[in-house]
Amino acid sequence: MEVTLKIFRYNPETDKKPSYKSYKLDANEMDRVLDLLEKVKGYQDGTLSFRRSCAHGICGSDAMRINGMNRLACKTLIRDVGTRVTVEPILGLPVLKDLIVDMEPFFDNFRSVKPWFITADPEPEKERYQSPEARARFDDTTKCILCACCTTSCPSFWGSEKYVGPAAIVAAHRFIFDDRDQAAAERLQILNEATGVHRCHTIFNCTMACPREIQITKAIGEVKMAISTGILD
Amino acid sequence: MGLKRDVSLKDFLRYKGKGPMLTFILHRIGGLGMVTFVGLHVLASFVGGRVGPAINLIYENWIFQIVVFFCVLFHVINGLRIVILDLWPKLIEHQREAIWLEWMIFLPVYGMAVYVIVNTALGG
Repeated sequence: MEVTLKIFRYNPETDKKPSYKSYKLDANEMDRVLDLLEKVKGYQDGTLSFRRSCAHGICGSDAMRINGMNRLACKTLIRDVGTRVTVEPILGLPVLKDLIVDMEPFFDNFRSVKPWFITADPEPEKERYQSPEARARFDDTTKCILCACCTTSCPSFWGSEKYVGPAAIVAAHRFIFDDRDQAAAERLQILNEATGVHRCHTIFNCTMACPREIQITKAIGEVKMAISTGILD
Repeated sequence: MGLKRDVSLKDFLRYKGKGPMLTFILHRIGGLGMVTFVGLHVLASFVGGRVGPAINLIYENWIFQIVVFFCVLFHVINGLRIVILDLWPKLIEHQREAIWLEWMIFLPVYGMAVYVIVNTALGG
């Protein structure tokens, strides 16, 4: 089948404004959008720029807007998006070139919630034990691959990059509800500020966009509730 | 040097967030509609002469009432859904069903109200 890829193009060295360029390709319905981008870059237009790394939905490098919705190009099949595909960079982050955005503001927000293990307890001889039930409490939020699909689908983040965004809250949730960690109160305080969870308007774009199917809005809701009640249920 | 991060209204509206995002947009439109309605009320009370009664005619108009009722009813039902999901985060897993339920409550109630408003306006 013939597929038309309409791709957002912008070269800061030559273009004043972004534009769209269409490419016609011969494709199979089981091809992924990433395969077609590779074909364009390899055979039609070597100037096309986009990020990719593992190409198997693990590294989270190739998040982009495909037919108007955030997805990973390596997990999106042509049969699911049709023969006319529009590919654009994710929203809310500065576009550096074509489909490549500056991820630094996203990672700044991520770091602001201290997404690492904090404890004052001395290091044990072996591992820190945890019951399966305690581990299951935050299992869903351990799946995040930091692709930014969620944060850049959030209208609150589009409005202000100071909002930490869904991905940072997911990372915080992973440690807040980990019974081995001792900095939950500190993280909840950070997320209780004006740039924290209260900017979430329960829109669900993040949950719909997550390629790992994490229940992001639920995680944000649990953090909101922990802030309100002071209880880590 | 790259493009700024600004997200235009066009980009905002073009994002395909599907059902949940539609309810978010309608919730905002509902809020603005109510502010307009209340604002016109307040303005009509303060402005004298011919202008005050003229403003009254706008919001007493049956077409305006259909729009205002949409704004109020949708804002109330959608707001209630969000409050319930915020208070019981475990229910968020069923957010799709919650949105269907919201429409199932909204559509008949709004349809009935529109019927009554139109019927009354057309002298039924």
